[in-house]
Amino acid sequence: MWRLNKIHHKSRWHQNNIDELRLRRREQERALRQARRDRQLVSKRLLLYEEEEQTGVTMETASGEQDVVSLLLKLQRGGTEKEIHLKALSKVLRESSAQLSFIKQENSMHLLVGLLTGSDAQCRLLAVRCLHELSYSPNTSVASACMPATPYLLTFLSGPTTKFTETCLYTLGNLCPVSEAVKEKLLAQGIIPALASCMENQRYNLAVVEAVGFTLSQLLQATGAIQKIISMVMCSSLPTYLVSFLTPDSEFGLGAAIECAWCLHYLVCSSEDHQELLARGALLHCSSELVSLSGAVTQGHKEDGMELLVCPLLRIVGNLLPSCLVEDLDKNTVFTLLVDALCVFLQAYLSSSPSLARETAWVLNNLTAHSTECCSAVVTLNLVSPLIQLLPVSHGINTMVLRILANIVSKKKELCVQLVQLGLLSALCSTLKMADQEMVTLSLEVLYMLLLTSPQVKEEFLREGGASILEIIQYNDEGEIRQKASYLVDQLLLTQQQHTI
Amino acid sequence: MSRPEVYPFDNISAASRNSEQDPTEASRQQLSEDGHPFSFSPQIVRLHREHDMFEDGDIHRHLYLQDLYTSEAEDRTTLSVSEFPCHISGCSAQFSSLGEYEHHYNSLHRNVCSSCRRCLPSARLLDIHIQEWHDSLFAVLAQKQDMYLCLVEGCGQKFRTGKQRKDHLIRIHKYPPDFRFDKLKKERGNKGGRGQEQKVKVIEAVNDVCESEGVCEVLCNPMSDQPEEEESMEICEKEAPLMEDMPSPVQDSEVNALPLNPQYSRRIPKTVCFGHGSSRSFRGQRGRKK
Repeated sequence: MWRLNKIHHKSRWHQNNIDELRLRRREQERALRQARRDRQLVSKRLLLYEEEEQTGVTMETASGEQDVVSLLLKLQRGGTEKEIHLKALSKVLRESSAQLSFIKQENSMHLLVGLLTGSDAQCRLLAVRCLHELSYSPNTSVASACMPATPYLLTFLSGPTTKFTETCLYTLGNLCPVSEAVKEKLLAQGIIPALASCMENQRYNLAVVEAVGFTLSQLLQATGAIQKIISMVMCSSLPTYLVSFLTPDSEFGLGAAIECAWCLHYLVCSSEDHQELLARGALLHCSSELVSLSGAVTQGHKEDGMELLVCPLLRIVGNLLPSCLVEDLDKNTVFTLLVDALCVFLQAYLSSSPSLARETAWVLNNLTAHSTECCSAVVTLNLVSPLIQLLPVSHGINTMVLRILANIVSKKKELCVQLVQLGLLSALCSTLKMADQEMVTLSLEVLYMLLLTSPQVKEEFLREGGASILEIIQYNDEGEIRQKASYLVDQLLLTQQQHTI
Repeated sequence: MSRPEVYPFDNISAASRNSEQDPTEASRQQLSEDGHPFSFSPQIVRLHREHDMFEDGDIHRHLYLQDLYTSEAEDRTTLSVSEFPCHISGCSAQFSSLGEYEHHYNSLHRNVCSSCRRCLPSARLLDIHIQEWHDSLFAVLAQKQDMYLCLVEGCGQKFRTGKQRKDHLIRIHKYPPDFRFDKLKKERGNKGGRGQEQKVKVIEAVNDVCESEGVCEVLCNPMSDQPEEEESMEICEKEAPLMEDMPSPVQDSEVNALPLNPQYSRRIPKTVCFGHGSSRSFRGQRGRKK
């Protein structure tokens, strides 16, 4: 069965040529972006089987139409060769023409369900493989044809066998997004309680945990009836398990943690009330996981694909922070450590993954906006200078970073002198000249707050030539910027006049 | 317990100011109780599922589900940096580093004579230029005393004419004969047709300047659109011949319509003059709005 110990390219795409793979990836990326814009971002997963993994090549299948019909006939006759025919059928059903042919045949699904629920264990396994192939089809009618089998698939989830359960899970996961009707039916058939008990029974098998996570994430990505789904999930034991599987396993790897994290992310960002999740320790667990992952980065053990886990963890923390009381934040030292971890990620992902760096900065903004302790931590952990160095970087990163610095200035006025010594004023003299209007606006706000703190700051600013910078800004296109600059110019003039008197 | 403001991240910067303003009021932000226009406060930002900021992460997640994920940096755009625009009206240059921008500004915009748009390399030379070319008092004094200061800092010698100074520079300080920043003023033609014989224009013909200076290219073009304005500085006719340089009729006009005070400094000051009546630099079409 399919395992994700290390993320590598599956040879399913028949790509010997690395360029073809790149091309395929680029095309798919374009398609995914469009799908996201259309709010139809959906992916299915297809399992590869052991023999394919070993040889590294997927089985070639010839045109399957005739094969399907003949195989079905053979299977109907029964006998000892059922296994062989089923195996052949599962390969044939990779082809879309064969799939269409299969669903057109009368009683084909009935036959398959019979084999699925029969006494022959090997046949059950092969039958579910056939269903899995059908579920993966992008054709709605092909996937929907699997519906008669779903009550049995759900029953099997509470069974003890792992390989079989995995295939059932991925089949169900592929079926979830097929249509609203299919989803409603699955919910009515009790998919959520079934997933919960499966997770509980098989929690020591991370491959199954990963499969449960995947299936749940397919449900949670739905746009229709999302509140109903969320309340059903929250009533179950699933959230507690999700929170407990966020740590990568040294042997199994990141797979299970990734799926569970994405499930939690969908849960958090689709609802406003987070008290339940907070009570189950979601914020604490995610924060401490981020801290240990950042430790791995610092030591140079950055695992392949770690971003796939860091990303949802960041989002969970970022969106849970508004619901958390600041007293609870300040009680726990993990959040001070989190401040450091976020700065590690900022540096690490700045060039390789700017959007992830931006999300990191967003979380740090939320943390510093909420907690004064965290503001102090930024200064005491010597993180101000690295942040200041990020101010030239665009992609929306510098505006977030400037917000973080503004939060500190606003909440910890006593640290302003230190911030000025660390070069904040000089940095502002640069950011005030930028083309980005938001940067200019924010810079003026920070400057205003700094100038209020002490006359020394005013003098320092004048020494750095700040007055002429402000003069220029008085001719900015935006009225509000002009107004702010004029106000500051007048303030500085007052100082000068006072000095000359 | 006070919570910081929580905003959905549609437009976080608009959240801190009135977003619904009609254009006429757009320049007028609401003032706080203390009468200042600043309104920053720490804001926690909540991002909903479909937010743009989540796009890239979502795409990578789905590429991973489809077995197309790679952690290699591929087709990665280089990290972009914020740009610095040149603020001078009419100059549309943009730079990707502050150093580049400042070099540009210092070379082309800093020590600029506001009368003739000539760009000088230092404040000192600018001062000398203004004094010698645009100050009528200088012309008066120069009849009686040595006013032409040696351009080399620390030398301090003064000469009766520009030519003498030039010779001094060449002989003593080994300057090239065609030193760019010591052009002798040329003869100015008469502009009788205007009916203002009494008035002597002290504005240099910009075209003239451009040919010799080169650096002023950037400055010239925007100026040609502006309506001509006369600089009606009165100078007694008998002094006119003593001015070595009579600029030909102005093609471009002065930027500022300044009150006409002969002592008035038209130098764009490196440090800003506060207070009313001082020269405001860069007053283009858009003035300062209150």
